[in-house]
Amino acid sequence: MSGGGAGAADAREPAAGPARRLDAEQLELGGGLEVLLQAALAGMAPGEQVDVVTRSRAVALELPGWARLEGHAAGDPRRVERPGRDGAAAAATGGRAPSGPPPPERDRGRWAVRLRRGPGDRVAVAADATDTRSPDRRRPPAPGDARPSGAAVPSAGSQQRGALAPPLRDGGRFHTADWRDGGLAPPVPEEAGRTAGLAPLGALPEPGAPAFDWPLHRREQLWAADVAELAEQATAEQWDATADVPWATAAELPEPLDRAVAQVMTFIAQNEYAALYVPAAFLPQVHPAFPEALQWLAGHVHDEARHVEVFTKRALLCRTPGHALAATELSLRTLLDERDFTNAALLLNVLGEGTFLDLLRFVERHAPDPATAAAARLAHRDERRHVHFGVSHVRRALAGDPDRRAALVAAAEQRAAKLTELTGLSPLLTEGLTILAAGSLRPAALSDGAAAVRGLTATMEENRLRRLRAAGFDAATARRLSELHTPNLM
Amino acid sequence: MSARSDPITVGAVAYHPRIVTIWERFRSYFAEAGVPTDYLLYSNYERLIDAVLAGEVEIGWNTNTAFVALERRLGREARILGMRDVDAAYATVIVTRRGEAFDDPRELAGRRLALGSRDSGHAAILPLHHLGREGLDAAADCALVRFDTDLGKHGDTGDSELRVVQAVAEGGADAGALGDATWAAFRAAGLPATHGLEVAWRSPVYSHCNFTALPGLDAALAERWTAALLAMDRDDPPLREAMDLEGVRRWLPGDRAGYADLFAAVAAQERAEAAT
Repeated sequence: MSGGGAGAADAREPAAGPARRLDAEQLELGGGLEVLLQAALAGMAPGEQVDVVTRSRAVALELPGWARLEGHAAGDPRRVERPGRDGAAAAATGGRAPSGPPPPERDRGRWAVRLRRGPGDRVAVAADATDTRSPDRRRPPAPGDARPSGAAVPSAGSQQRGALAPPLRDGGRFHTADWRDGGLAPPVPEEAGRTAGLAPLGALPEPGAPAFDWPLHRREQLWAADVAELAEQATAEQWDATADVPWATAAELPEPLDRAVAQVMTFIAQNEYAALYVPAAFLPQVHPAFPEALQWLAGHVHDEARHVEVFTKRALLCRTPGHALAATELSLRTLLDERDFTNAALLLNVLGEGTFLDLLRFVERHAPDPATAAAARLAHRDERRHVHFGVSHVRRALAGDPDRRAALVAAAEQRAAKLTELTGLSPLLTEGLTILAAGSLRPAALSDGAAAVRGLTATMEENRLRRLRAAGFDAATARRLSELHTPNLM
Repeated sequence: MSARSDPITVGAVAYHPRIVTIWERFRSYFAEAGVPTDYLLYSNYERLIDAVLAGEVEIGWNTNTAFVALERRLGREARILGMRDVDAAYATVIVTRRGEAFDDPRELAGRRLALGSRDSGHAAILPLHHLGREGLDAAADCALVRFDTDLGKHGDTGDSELRVVQAVAEGGADAGALGDATWAAFRAAGLPATHGLEVAWRSPVYSHCNFTALPGLDAALAERWTAALLAMDRDDPPLREAMDLEGVRRWLPGDRAGYADLFAAVAAQERAEAAT
């Protein structure tokens, strides 16, 4: 094998024959010339040649080394134009101001270096945008590549979207879902490569990135038909727990209302922590190929963090601290233990937050001050979205997998088995809600308050069943699940 | 066709921790290609040459300086199995501060010329040789500023060339020699010392590293190994990182003609040393 082979000779010297011409003028390497060169070479097929013409000898001497490092062959620099016969400088040298002293003879006239484009692209592109790891899913060759063609995805060089008008809605609103629906972005994948990297939607992922491991990489695991719209809605409906609540109205409630508000607010905030941690734990498990789901979960987490904030603030304005009850903790702990996304969607979104919708509506209606009412109203708006997602996701999961129903019931049973010590709503919370509804400790008012709380319980039960049915459970299973639901509400 | 099942052994110099990454990846590749290959690492090229000559490894991944030394000790032609694309048409450049370039290398007489490690073909031996051909006996007529770092690594680490560039930039030397690919890499990395410099001279081209085997290596096996080497594809994700670390876009067959100047330079250097 010793002795020069054709390949070696090829790499050493560009051949005579046709070549494009690229006028580099006064550009230097390190000063923008490489950008011009890369742009020119990107539009050339391997084997095509270009004569790079420069006004600087230094640049010409430097070009072959640059080209070889970039995988292209380069010829020796040659002088192609000398200064004019009248002796005037034909051009200024690279990097020197034209108004300065005249350039030395070597930098007058022009120099040329012939480059022959090497094979391959600067950046490889994975054939499957959702899987950058699998070696058998490499990108197909670029035009002119020596490699055989056959795959369907175009190369980086040829992959252009062309001029696009964004599918805007009224008010100039740009929704990702519209981009997908219009075929301008890849459809939501049924399954994304579990080890793929952080490639944004529509980007060309380079193979060879480090391996990730996304437990939630199948659409069926986490999708809901309207998740994109829900995510957009969540962004549009953000509010500010610091400024959007009339905090000045919250001061100085008389006993026993102050103590009742403190307990109810503390209970809700305590539960909101769980509602925060559950989606937060799933967030880093979601494959980047599902940006809508990520946006949704991130919004969910943000919502819950704000709920913790707003109910904590309201409790802080009470003279008496509320109790963070151990029984509540026990219930929430079992929620945090759930590792399956769909099970968690049923237990948290459908059952827990669903039940909280009724609780928040009750608090808003009976709040003794505008601040408490506003906090409950604003949180209710967010929780409606969360419940909607849960119902939509569970319905999709049940429709796609008949065995899923049994697994969901088993998850609810498993949780209930851990909560046998809980026999009902905490007496402190029941009393707090009763006083809120009563407005005082007058016996007649308390009687009305107790009736309102009984009504709340009934409403919760009724709506829970309705939501479970909407999620796709039959009447008997819905009844069973409702019965299994924690007495803690969340 | 050779029916060997034990791996063919390649020796390489461990001039950087990445060498392990490179060869672990290549080892897997050659196994998949049906030419099982293992590797041994040495701390310097002199030990690697010993190992090739002693049959401890069958192939040495040599610098041009190591290749020439090996053949001179062998006393006949070794077998070249391949080289990187960057090794073909390699050149040495001499840089000066911007605006201080020369038209003729003889203008460097009386000036300070920085060189890389004395065992580096591209940063010391060949620049002296080619300058001599252009009429400048730099060893006699210039004040040589040598940076003999990482001796035994034949300039692989790039450390001495970095010092060359910094010396010129900071005024410790008037001109400095280094590999054109090293200079391009310094430029691409945005090394500040490159900003105020320009390339004033470029040597004729030569070949750099190659895979060398003794002539007795089974010809069929050698051809299979070279075929597997040349078939490495940088678009193959598991190979891309290793090939990038090795600085190769594609492998080429070797080219004996690219070493003639270095043979001449080493012989002349020996004669000169013998005369003093």
